Amino acid sequence: MPIVKIDDTDFTVEKGTSVLQAALANDIEIPHYCYHPALEIVGSCRMCLVKVEGMPKLQVSCNTFVGDVPSDKKIDGKYDMVVSTQDELVQQEQKNMLEFLLLNHPLDCPVCDQAGECDLQDYAFKYGNAHSRFEEDKRVRPNEYLGSQIVINHNRCILCSRCVRFTREISGSSELFVEARGYNSKISVLEEKPLDNLLAGNVADICPVGALLSTDYIHKNRIWNLDKQPSICQDCSVGCNVDVFHQKDQILRLTPRENHSVNKFFMCDKGRYGFHRFEEIERLTVPMIMSEGGFIETTWDEAIEKTVDELNGAGKGIAGIASPFHTNEANFMLGRLVNGNVGTLPPITSEEINYPSGFRISGDRSPNRHGMNDVCPSIVDDFASAVERKDIRFLYLLDDGIDRELNELWKGMLEKIDFVVVQSYAMTDVSKCADIVLPGQAPFEREGTITNDMGRVQWLRPSVTTKGESRPDWEIPMLIQSKHAGVEGLTDVSSVMNEMGKDFAAYSDITFFRLGDQGLPLNGKAEE
Amino acid sequence: MATIVKSYEPTFWDRLYLPALAKGLAVTLKHFFRKKITIQYPDEKYVPPDGYRGLHRLNKYPDGKIRCVACEMCSAACPADCIHIIPGPSPWEDGKERFPVRFDIDLLRCIFCGFCEMACPEEAIELTEIYDFSNYTRDDLLIDKEGLLGVYELTKDTNYYSRPNAGQDSEALTSDKF
Amino acid sequence: MDFLGFVIICVKVLVVFSATMLTVLMMVYAERRVSAFMQGRLGPNRVGPQGLLQPIADGIKFLMKEDIIPAEVNKPIYLLAPAMLLIPALMTFAVIPFGSTITLFGREVPLQVADLNVGILYILALTSIGVYGLVLAGWASNSKYSLIGGLRSSAQLISYELAMGLSVVSVILLAGSLKLNVIVEDQQGYLLSWNVFKQPVAFLIFLVAVYAETNRLPFDLTEAEQELVGGYHTEYSSMKFAMFFTAEYANMVTAAALTVTLFFGGWDVPLLNETSMGALGAILSVLSFILKTAFFLFLFIWVRWTFPRFRYDQLMKLGWKVMLPLALINIFVTGGYLTLTSLR
Repeated sequence: MPIVKIDDTDFTVEKGTSVLQAALANDIEIPHYCYHPALEIVGSCRMCLVKVEGMPKLQVSCNTFVGDVPSDKKIDGKYDMVVSTQDELVQQEQKNMLEFLLLNHPLDCPVCDQAGECDLQDYAFKYGNAHSRFEEDKRVRPNEYLGSQIVINHNRCILCSRCVRFTREISGSSELFVEARGYNSKISVLEEKPLDNLLAGNVADICPVGALLSTDYIHKNRIWNLDKQPSICQDCSVGCNVDVFHQKDQILRLTPRENHSVNKFFMCDKGRYGFHRFEEIERLTVPMIMSEGGFIETTWDEAIEKTVDELNGAGKGIAGIASPFHTNEANFMLGRLVNGNVGTLPPITSEEINYPSGFRISGDRSPNRHGMNDVCPSIVDDFASAVERKDIRFLYLLDDGIDRELNELWKGMLEKIDFVVVQSYAMTDVSKCADIVLPGQAPFEREGTITNDMGRVQWLRPSVTTKGESRPDWEIPMLIQSKHAGVEGLTDVSSVMNEMGKDFAAYSDITFFRLGDQGLPLNGKAEE
Repeated sequence: MATIVKSYEPTFWDRLYLPALAKGLAVTLKHFFRKKITIQYPDEKYVPPDGYRGLHRLNKYPDGKIRCVACEMCSAACPADCIHIIPGPSPWEDGKERFPVRFDIDLLRCIFCGFCEMACPEEAIELTEIYDFSNYTRDDLLIDKEGLLGVYELTKDTNYYSRPNAGQDSEALTSDKF
Repeated sequence: MDFLGFVIICVKVLVVFSATMLTVLMMVYAERRVSAFMQGRLGPNRVGPQGLLQPIADGIKFLMKEDIIPAEVNKPIYLLAPAMLLIPALMTFAVIPFGSTITLFGREVPLQVADLNVGILYILALTSIGVYGLVLAGWASNSKYSLIGGLRSSAQLISYELAMGLSVVSVILLAGSLKLNVIVEDQQGYLLSWNVFKQPVAFLIFLVAVYAETNRLPFDLTEAEQELVGGYHTEYSSMKFAMFFTAEYANMVTAAALTVTLFFGGWDVPLLNETSMGALGAILSVLSFILKTAFFLFLFIWVRWTFPRFRYDQLMKLGWKVMLPLALINIFVTGGYLTLTSLR
């Protein structure tokens, strides 16, 4: 394997690796704009220039590859390539390139939403000149809508063409192109074909400056005010890795997080803007008991006592409804509570979309069907007839929290059962059928593991604090069960995972520590 | 090299201490008849010098538009964490595109260090010379955008304390004024 | 004693008592105003014209304050102590002549409440009794600060009472009597016949001792705030504290009056024979007494805001090693001089 020397340090790299990749992989910073690991290399920004020994001019490191050199031609008898990123010439060129990029770039960082995570701002600070020699008037163009969700500020654009390549290579829809040439060139769309595909939000993320902006986040806040929490998107069964940006328990935006086993670098707009769903829901924060006429608020102790009483009275006639929207831990505790007598609500589906780059938006809108099936193996498909057969008197329903219309069959069934416990975070149609409602957590409040449709277990971390008196979803069935059986309860979600591992071999060695932020594959172990 | 410093040998007269006592009494007596520096506060008001760091204000352009673009540099610079801004799109077509929808300063937390005006890229927030804005409730010391703009109107032309009727309205600046 | 004589005595007692109390009030005001002036401030000037009603406001404040009696104090003594300090302070004034004689209803009425044969001894005795108030207050409060304040005051008063008594002895030698009236009459005549010119050393010793006796700066170690919080009165509040306060100022008034009587010719106006001028003379003499006393009261305040406090060892050193020998030498010299002049 070739040996490359970058700034006095030797690295052994794969043949065909670019210098920029080799440097970035080893925490050597080379400034770059147009290079994006998911996109074709164009080498247009000229920011990643490095000095390569033996080459007369500076080279763009993103498009210079390390190869095997015959042993007699190796530099110092050892190296296949010797690169300097700190050379005086390189530093001067970086200054010059930044001065060019900043010729027409407005100094409106206070107004710009990219400020704080802007590559141009960072590099100008780190590598650039403090002053510009440009005395002419700057080129000023009005903002334009490229699609319903994306605005372009042409003044800030540095024409790296990441967005153009994204629409060509990843979404395959090719809406964006560079219009005109030279001084007049700008990113543009055709009037009859705006940037409205389901991946459009990604162009705002990959834009290294504040030129492409998502209307959802524009002028909302400053990036340094927000807390960033790695999490998992819960809007389909792909389970894209995301970063949740939130402030004061309010989510402001989601951005994709790199995970090459799941979503690579991107996420779809359904997931990206999906968190707004939870802003206007009728949130449940206290336990409620149905009495004549409506729900009455009650305390947890009372609610659990009543549930346990009913559970004792029902004897063997108990069943549960697991939910593919909940974590493995919640479903596992529910399965334990009802002795594996589990059904599920009708699934929510939409059309599956596949992009040429391999990016996929699943048709199954629930994030954890795979995991639910793993930890509740005896799920009955035709639950309604099973209820008839078994004389069910007590039903514990783990609600999806999705606002849906129940069909007549389900409604009739829920009415017929003596006592229905619904654990939910929203006042959905299902919750309204309950005799007692126990408030659980909303999606970004949950902690636990979820398994995506490819059998990858991922760590779902809480991004915002739990509202009101709501309790963790795994804790509520656990409390009821431990009171019912008269045993000591589990104390935290890790101990639930431990218990789960004892019952289901596929999950036996899964811990938060091992999952990390990239997750672990089950490799089909659950199906065996 | 060590040097020997001869200490002062007090004379008999010094050791008697009486002349020194008389000298001391003379000093205080001299001060007794001096002009007094007390300012009779509510009746006459101290006029702070330029650069005094008192109550904040939000500046406007001559055409009445708010200078602030809600960049939150002031709240980032604030060591007391007392500036709370909610940004939004500007209501003016031709101005800056950002605009503070809410701009609240918690005067109880503020330490009047002036970092906010130093951080401000638009020269929008400034500390004025107004120092007597105490109040009876905590709520009255949370100043909002309208209040800060009101302070601008009060102080934009002249020093607040050198206006013609300064000192005559002895009551402190009440919250409905700012 | 006939009825009229009794009435006259009662009136004199009333006049002297109220005059002392009024002066105390004025002193509280003057203390604050003068100290402010010396520091370039204005002091209290809001209550009444020029703030003259400030002492009344202070009095009302003291009356309205919550009267706290700490749980662990020795209650009877704790309650008694302020009175034990205040009463001797007010009683001392009885023997001080504050004017010459006036003729009322065909009687010669000396402007003095009681002309005791042992006037000076009476004063020395009463000031010594005042110490009990301080010490008992410090002890009964059951607080370390109060106790230290009380201990300090007892040690201080004993040390300086000696020097004070001895300095007065030389004055007595000159006058040949313990009666204050006689001492004043002895200084009648022209200016240089005042004792301050005949006995300058005795005057200085007396003046310094008086500051120590009244616990005023630079000798206020009994109530040194920085070390003792408040000294012997730390645990007192409301009117009981006000009594200590009043006693301190009453002591100052008496001390100033005594200084005037012993060394500055009392009610004497130099070069005038007040007794022979009838009512006018009496009025002039009282005015002269008031003016002289007022100066010494001002001196009290002036000194307080000029000099820093002595350290405790310095205080003791000054009392025992300087004042006492000096007073003894002074008596010896005075006695020697008198003996020599009488021999001739």
